[in-house]
Amino acid sequence: MTEYKEWIGIVAIACALLAGVAFGGSYIGTLVVWIAIAAVMASSLRFVLLIGELNFASAAFFGIGAYCTGYIVNHADLPFVLTLALSGGLALVVSIVFGGITLKVKGPYFLLIGFAFTEALRIFYTRMEALGGNSGLVGIFPPAWLDAHYQYFTTVLCFLLILGLLGIERSHLGKIFIAIRDNENVVRSVGNRVFFTKVVCFAIASTVAGLAGSLHAFANNVISPLDFGFMLSIFALAYLKVGGEDSPLGPVMGAALLVCVASYAQSLGGNEHILYGLAIVLSVLFMPKGLAGLADLLRRKKESVA
Amino acid sequence: MTDGDILLSGRNLSKQFKGLRAVAGVDIDIRRGEIVGLIGPNGAGKSTMFNLLSGFLPPTTGQLFIAGANMTGATPERISQQGLVRTFQHGSYLPSMTVRDNVLIGSLGGMRNARVSRAEQNKGIDEAIALFGLSNHWNNVAKNLSHGLQRLLSMAIAFAARPSLICLDEPLTGLNQTEVTGTLQVYRRLKTDYGMSILLVEHNMRAVMNICDRIYVLHHGEIICTGTPDEVKNSDAVLKAYLGEAHGI
Ligand SMILES: Nc1ncnc2c1ncn2[C@@H]1O[C@H](COP(=O)(O)OP(=O)(O)OP(=O)(O)O)[C@@H](O)[C@H]1O
Ligand SMILES: [Mg+2]
Repeated sequence: MTEYKEWIGIVAIACALLAGVAFGGSYIGTLVVWIAIAAVMASSLRFVLLIGELNFASAAFFGIGAYCTGYIVNHADLPFVLTLALSGGLALVVSIVFGGITLKVKGPYFLLIGFAFTEALRIFYTRMEALGGNSGLVGIFPPAWLDAHYQYFTTVLCFLLILGLLGIERSHLGKIFIAIRDNENVVRSVGNRVFFTKVVCFAIASTVAGLAGSLHAFANNVISPLDFGFMLSIFALAYLKVGGEDSPLGPVMGAALLVCVASYAQSLGGNEHILYGLAIVLSVLFMPKGLAGLADLLRRKKESVA
Repeated sequence: MTDGDILLSGRNLSKQFKGLRAVAGVDIDIRRGEIVGLIGPNGAGKSTMFNLLSGFLPPTTGQLFIAGANMTGATPERISQQGLVRTFQHGSYLPSMTVRDNVLIGSLGGMRNARVSRAEQNKGIDEAIALFGLSNHWNNVAKNLSHGLQRLLSMAIAFAARPSLICLDEPLTGLNQTEVTGTLQVYRRLKTDYGMSILLVEHNMRAVMNICDRIYVLHHGEIICTGTPDEVKNSDAVLKAYLGEAHGI
């Protein structure tokens, strides 16, 4: 798939989702926002995979963004855009500190630290009265001027964030990310700052996750510690694996499919987690490159027949 | 030859791995524009020497100076900015990336602190690709290249960083005779056209004797002989170290 086609693919999916918001009624509108936010989470996870690390702390930064937003809305009368920016900013600051300490380790160690950080934060939220303890925070509404358009706003912003990540991936900086994944000693031997670059990658992804968390808080109006456990990182991984991690389109396609499946399962009163598990098993068995890889394969088959 | 010509100098460098002294009190000097060979039987400590010189391993004892600055204990990134770039004996490239992107990474490292226009940078990359005969493969993914082309790519990545000293760990392994001859020709150009120094670890003795101005012979982590190719060839100590080994001199 050429680079150009990926940009078009993402914009096309965004347009389809916006049309869903416009003509689909309130149920579809809610679903679209859910998909858009899930797609950002999966794209953020994929972004850190560019340096070869599985970032299980992504749920933590999503939670930091959401709680920052919830706290500001409940305690201060700040403009909406500033609230959003501060939520992303807090995720940025925390991620620089966290990444600066933890990115010295790699692979399973980094993954486990991310997992532990996520769970520690979740428990921290339950103990903090100022953050609503176990029951969390309520009354997180977008401002009146935006309320009617909030679904459009979120969908568009989510896709701008995804396009932004794609733009960085295609830049020289993004090439250094991938080079680090391939062989960090070679990258280091010619004078590139490997550790610094890893922290930059992690901080960008975490900021984006924090912004997604803020958008989620405004969309959901209510947040509680349970929303931000490690399962959220697992969901993001599921979106990524089902959609396909090789292409930037993968996380978007995976999020769209799995969120629809989960919503359907919920409407049946079923347990959507089982369906996630099933989707992962099926996709690993039958389409190891995910939906995006499958689309690529079909296209190539058609070309070779033609 | 004045001291100003000395680009790298290592003093009493040692590396101790648990019970094993892989490098033991080595003194080494490399002058600007000089091609220096570092040879020795398998396990002599050549790659470990590379790790000490390039900052990938801290020395147990000793000091390292590059271009007049004390680089003892410095990071590989820092040492590379000081002008020393090395390749690795195995897999010294970025497998999932194209040849051009591989070389781009080298160029980005070398130009980290320089203000260079995109056009100039692209020119530098194309130059590196052409110099090592990779022009027909620029858009191929590195892991799909032949072993010989991967070796050439390793050198192109290092060259693209425009070091003043390029350290190559067995770069000729897996190259056919034509490729070896061509690569030696490139080494002469690195020296004459670009003023680079080369430190060459290589088991291909004919190539080493042919190209090097000076040779260090390492055995059990110690320098047992140093001198011109002719002096080394006729050294009793070297003959003894190599005796019974497959590498004929
Ligand atoms: N990281 C390490 N830990 C422990 N021992 C090591 C380490 N690296 C190298 N050695 C040992 O140090 C000795 C020198 O190894 P080195 O790789 O430097 O040899 P070499 O001269 O490059 O050999 P070759 O020609 O086979 O590449 C060997 O005995 C090796 O087993
Ligand atoms: Mg070696």
